[in-house]
Amino acid sequence: MNLLPFLISGLGIGAVYALSGVGLVILYRSTGVLNFAFGAIGALGAHVAWQLQQWQQPLAVAILAAVAVATAVSFLYGRVFAPLLSHRDTVVQAVGTVAPALFLIAVMGVIWGELPRRLQLPTDQMFLTLFGVRLTATRLIALALAILMVVAITLLLNRTRLGLDMRALANDRDLSAILGVRIRYTETAAWVITGVFAGLAGLLLADLVRLQGTFLTFLVIPAIAAAILGQLRSLTVTAIAGISVGVVEAALTPIDWVSSYRAAAPFVIALAAVMILGAMSITTLRDR
Amino acid sequence: MLKILKVMAASLTLGLLSALSAHAAVSCGDNSGKPATGEPIIIGAITGKTGPDDFSNSTKSALAYFNCLNANGGIKGRPVKYLVEDDQWNPETAAQLAAKLVNDQKAVLMVGNSSYVECGANAEFYKKAGIEVIAGVGVPRECFFAQNYAPTNAGPRVSMLGAMGYALDKLNAKSVACIGPNIPNVGTWSCDGVVSLAKEKGFKAETILMDPGSADATSIILKAAASKPDVIVLGMSKGVAVPLLTAAEEQGLNQTITFLSAASAYDLSVPATIGPAWDGKFFVNMEFNDLQATTPDNQNWLAVMDKYGQKSDPRDTFAQAGYLAARIAEKALMTLDPKNITRETVSAAVRQVKGFQSDIFCAPWYFGDGQPRHNANSSTRMAVSEGGKWKVVSDCAPSPDPELKDVRAFEATMK
Repeated sequence: MNLLPFLISGLGIGAVYALSGVGLVILYRSTGVLNFAFGAIGALGAHVAWQLQQWQQPLAVAILAAVAVATAVSFLYGRVFAPLLSHRDTVVQAVGTVAPALFLIAVMGVIWGELPRRLQLPTDQMFLTLFGVRLTATRLIALALAILMVVAITLLLNRTRLGLDMRALANDRDLSAILGVRIRYTETAAWVITGVFAGLAGLLLADLVRLQGTFLTFLVIPAIAAAILGQLRSLTVTAIAGISVGVVEAALTPIDWVSSYRAAAPFVIALAAVMILGAMSITTLRDR
Repeated sequence: MLKILKVMAASLTLGLLSALSAHAAVSCGDNSGKPATGEPIIIGAITGKTGPDDFSNSTKSALAYFNCLNANGGIKGRPVKYLVEDDQWNPETAAQLAAKLVNDQKAVLMVGNSSYVECGANAEFYKKAGIEVIAGVGVPRECFFAQNYAPTNAGPRVSMLGAMGYALDKLNAKSVACIGPNIPNVGTWSCDGVVSLAKEKGFKAETILMDPGSADATSIILKAAASKPDVIVLGMSKGVAVPLLTAAEEQGLNQTITFLSAASAYDLSVPATIGPAWDGKFFVNMEFNDLQATTPDNQNWLAVMDKYGQKSDPRDTFAQAGYLAARIAEKALMTLDPKNITRETVSAAVRQVKGFQSDIFCAPWYFGDGQPRHNANSSTRMAVSEGGKWKVVSDCAPSPDPELKDVRAFEATMK
């Protein structure tokens, strides 16, 4: 069977994995927190957008509200709760983010339920046909957005004072504090940035995949796989890894004997990466 | 002038009648309005409430009916005590709860069970304990291949083949792709049915099994469309069917391929969710009558829910199933001497149930005494998505499932 159509169909979701992965890495590099609530925060934003669409609000309002809500929730957690754990192990900090994830799942369940919904964007109707597959404008936007955000964040890190502080924090938190880096401020900024990523990724996934709270929450896992492939450090590698995970998952579809296990692809890829990187002892996870 | 007046009078009377029937008096028990005060009859149920999905609508509806029955004389003066347990979608829990209900609480009958895991876990236990189960909704194969377990619904396979039969007879389909979940005894079971029917009738069939947790619906749809089938039949829950249809619409396939689904996608919210692009293009099988049917028994179900159920109890097909299971149980129990209601007498009475009439079913329901398996509900209807609603497009038709041969043979002996 021709693989090309499947490669194309994997690009869209892969791009969102990339976007999510980059959102996770930027937070991890600045604060040392691996954010398991990333998917849930995005899902909340997407639900808000859907609700506004139901209330006949303009699309721009819905999109802005989605990103604003996601950013606000991320800011709230980053400002109020995350600092309480900031002197604990990386694992404790990561597990701490499971709490807002579960809380948000419950909130979405109570307000919107688990019935399948459909979030539609006008770009779904625009497409170009490649190898017999329609590549919608939404998917192209996802790809463009992923690339744009990698460039923007790279510039931020390399060219701005905030970026310098973030890199300093990533290197050595205590030393940075002594040198006068405003830790709270820098970390909060990272939470705000990751919130924007979560909002955008949530909107795109709700359109491309499905609008369902629990489901979107767990789509953080392929993004974590991508981030691990980027060693929670490299934005470019994470972005490429995210797209690859999406494409590999799609490309396994026509191969019958693995087809029904293809949802496991992100985990297998991440596991293999950890093992290979570990064996080559080039992993830099410890000193982020 | 007189003619016009006559027509007006007639339409007014009709209008009044339909208004009355919409608020029809609730009918259950002996309709005496006298609460039953005798010694309670213990009836149990196991449902999957907490877990991946909430299946408890069936037992909620059965409870509403039993409440109504108890308020109207009960079983010849004895009320039903209905004990519902949540198996949490865990087979081990399901087995423990069955033992608790049957051995400890001394239930004489199980009614309205709807669980994904219970049939496999408990069918043997029920047989050994000599207790019968009039289930609400059965999903996996085990629910339809057990001696003491008789669901009121048709099941995913019979339902899917009902849809397939419609595609063959009414849509002139010559080739099909079947998409089912990669869950043993559910997805393969349903799609295997389509394949064996294809062998029997000589059309082309292809099976695609998917992980319901997969995020990538587009690839599944592309794979299904690759063989250029006339129709695609889905055996997925509504939560997965909607994203598959969305992906198909994105690829423009709603214009070239007709989509059909087993009853698992029949939910009132689905047509509005998938939108106008699917008007007349997405057909769904119905295990029971239209949820909003104005037929007497369906109206009675809705009235019972309003008066004796919770406002929040969903009025869906699972609830129809639970209502029917409770009514069938009532019918069986009413044949007994109220002083002699034991598990043995109840089981014997349940096995004798036949010719149970309800307009929610397509055909009279029977238990099937002495049969090694039960699938009495095997005739189904079809509806199509149109203008944000389901429009019923077919009368009841027997499902062409080749595996129903034994059931059809037994039905022939009953006539």
